[in-house]
Amino acid sequence: MTNTLYSLDALGTPLAFFLALLIGSGFGFALERAGFSSSRRLAGVFYFTDMAVLKVMFTALITAMLGLSYLVALGWVRLENIFLMPTIYGAEIVGGLLFGVGFVMGGWCPGTAAAGLAAGRMDALVFLLGAIGGSVLFNELFPVIGPLMTAGDRGVQMAYENLGMSRKAFALVFTLVAVAAFWLAEWAEKARMGRGPYLGSPFLKAFSVALIAVAAGLFVLPGGGAGMGQGAPAASDEKALLAKVDQAGDHIEPEDLADRLMAGDPDLVVVDVRPVSEFGAFHIPGAINVALPELADALQPHRNKGTIVLYSNGMTHPAQARDSLQRQAFDNVYLLTDGLQGFRDRCLKPVSLRTEPLSAAAAARVTAWRAFFSAPAVSAKAGVAAAPASSTKPRAIETDRLAAQLGASSIKIIDLRPQPEYNTAHIPGSLSLNVESLRGNVEGVPSMLLPTPMLAAQFSLLGLNPSDTIVLVPGDKFHDANLAGMAFERLGHLNFAVLNGAYAKWDQERRPTDAALPAVTPSSFPALRDADRFTVGYRTVASGLGKPAPVIIDVRPSDFFSGKKSDEARAGHIPGALNRPYTEDVVAGTNKVVTFKPLDALAAAYARMIPSRDTEVIVHCRTGHQASQTYFVLKHLLGYSNVRWYDAGWTEWAARRELPIVNEAQVENPAK
Amino acid sequence: MKTKNNKDNTGSQPYSNPYLAGLLLGLVLLASFVVLGAGLGASSGIARLGAACSLWCFAPHTLASEYFGKWGDQPLKYYLVFMLAGTLVGALISALLANRVRIQVERGAKASVRLRLGYALAGGVIVGFASRLAQGCTSGQALSGGALLLTGSIVFMLCVFAGGYAAAWFVRRQWHD
Repeated sequence: MTNTLYSLDALGTPLAFFLALLIGSGFGFALERAGFSSSRRLAGVFYFTDMAVLKVMFTALITAMLGLSYLVALGWVRLENIFLMPTIYGAEIVGGLLFGVGFVMGGWCPGTAAAGLAAGRMDALVFLLGAIGGSVLFNELFPVIGPLMTAGDRGVQMAYENLGMSRKAFALVFTLVAVAAFWLAEWAEKARMGRGPYLGSPFLKAFSVALIAVAAGLFVLPGGGAGMGQGAPAASDEKALLAKVDQAGDHIEPEDLADRLMAGDPDLVVVDVRPVSEFGAFHIPGAINVALPELADALQPHRNKGTIVLYSNGMTHPAQARDSLQRQAFDNVYLLTDGLQGFRDRCLKPVSLRTEPLSAAAAARVTAWRAFFSAPAVSAKAGVAAAPASSTKPRAIETDRLAAQLGASSIKIIDLRPQPEYNTAHIPGSLSLNVESLRGNVEGVPSMLLPTPMLAAQFSLLGLNPSDTIVLVPGDKFHDANLAGMAFERLGHLNFAVLNGAYAKWDQERRPTDAALPAVTPSSFPALRDADRFTVGYRTVASGLGKPAPVIIDVRPSDFFSGKKSDEARAGHIPGALNRPYTEDVVAGTNKVVTFKPLDALAAAYARMIPSRDTEVIVHCRTGHQASQTYFVLKHLLGYSNVRWYDAGWTEWAARRELPIVNEAQVENPAK
Repeated sequence: MKTKNNKDNTGSQPYSNPYLAGLLLGLVLLASFVVLGAGLGASSGIARLGAACSLWCFAPHTLASEYFGKWGDQPLKYYLVFMLAGTLVGALISALLANRVRIQVERGAKASVRLRLGYALAGGVIVGFASRLAQGCTSGQALSGGALLLTGSIVFMLCVFAGGYAAAWFVRRQWHD
């Protein structure tokens, strides 16, 4: 199994640039060999004078498709490790039609024009300059055509699934269509141009047979490869299923499951099919609860990706559910041998209560399982499996990463949206939290992050533990996630991530949701008192005035910074403060999707404001809410080491009349 | 500037068997999937050049724009820009080996250079725009997405051919001999 640079999130590294250069060279070489450095040859396909475009393109497509299918079937490559573009019907249909018009007009497409330029074609150079201009035009028109970009967005769609076919059947049909197209193309060239060197030639015959044979070969491969779509029900599939049942190849042993859960295997989806009440009373940590009728829908995102394990008290219901799923083309569903009872007896039963003798190694395994599965709080102390968690830094997490880890027992998702939205649908397993419940009046100043014991009490009621990885999911206010992050940071819990794109992105990508309230066992979250070394008061801020450091960054909108607008005791800003509105650090896309700007853009912007990475920086806004986002960007995304947060912010500063201010707008102070 | 069609006169070698060239292209694409975890792409590199130009002329406006703004102030630090550079290098090597480098405007014998370059420019603008809209071109969407059997990519490919055949008659004069 190989990781790709995409799956390692390493496409932005120098290594990736170098490899892309190499692969690009192969691409350019192949294009030029094919004669795609000639616009006349390219345009020929539209006049049936030279069908090379069709021949080369379909041969390449079929080659890569079959090659990839084999690699996936053999388990050497996983489709999840490859970037799959979403299907957006509106953008792709309109874009495709326009593209075709531009292609036949210009006689080039982007890749071939690069090859043409290398071969000295000046029309390719002009075409490329036009394409650069067209990209700039697109950027300028983006605000107008934005809605078209997402029109008919269906997320990742596989053609064979849409047609109700298995992947290999579709691959074979596609290959047959391509071979037929090759013969038609040769025939068209002969009919129109009087030459068709390959029509009926031994080469084309042999080539056609070879392609079809390779495509047909997919059917004789072992079906066990992860990530391959199995077909609609067929007699052979039923036979394969029965064979698997015969060899108990459809089972997973409790010991194996326990080990994989402890290792935090992200490919594992454990599904408890018992009633909610029983699930609430006890379940295997990390399992999700799905009622039988909803099983196929709920598991759709995991179909033929990773391992799905079904369990109940016994074996009958899961076995029947597995058969049903198999008929719906799920090929990665396993049963937990002996069900929950087996898991209890074989993994969780204390060594002292066992009748059979255990070796020392086996006894140690049992002890480790018990520590991990019986009480989450205990597992953190035992340091099993979750050990690196506490050293993990706050970060942004992408939706696909979260989706891959969904169901892992160590992940706690906290949904910060208003309750009606949470109640309607949320990421499975999410806990609801109103971010305002983390703030209150502290010693006369409103909207302050609450003191440590009060935050710890709330996290305990949510059943959170120091070993958990917290994923914070904001709604319309993206910076809600950062304010909640401040609460975790105040307690010294740095293992949290902010969902980049907010809930809207998850929703837009049609990832799984449910409306169940998760089962929570109250915990006792430790109230570390000295973890918060980043919150500062007005005295600290005032004592730094007039000195080169700290750099004070006011993240409020610029009208409030200048004093043009005010809803506080005084208008303006702290003397010497710089203004960088928090909205500058994010990109608000369509459909409420908000993401952080790329790191290089953020780094460049702040490098202009802050002399060095260890310069002391104080961020503030009006109440501390918006500034929590800038704090996160500076400290955790960009690695500034000395960032402080003036939580009381302009609310307090403006109200304390002894503190100096600058009012650029010279607005008459309404309070006077 | 002299013009002439491709299989000619001046000692350049004929193009490869299209099926074998296609096979080579398919293997390069497969390598891209396995190593990078992403397919081939050309239009992204071009769009990033566009962003760099835009940035060079109007930096604040570009950084504030919704589409290019996401790419930051160093849009060229992106793997597909390097792939585009590689495409030029690889094609140059192949063309040199086959003695096919000719400075020329390729067109029909009866068509003027102006007509051909006009069409090339207009076609380029449309293609540059359309490949941003569709998030890819013949390389990134049709070829790479098609090989992954993605529905949208196959729909895109069919639409490219539909658009091309629909417009072909109207722009045929540039190839008249």
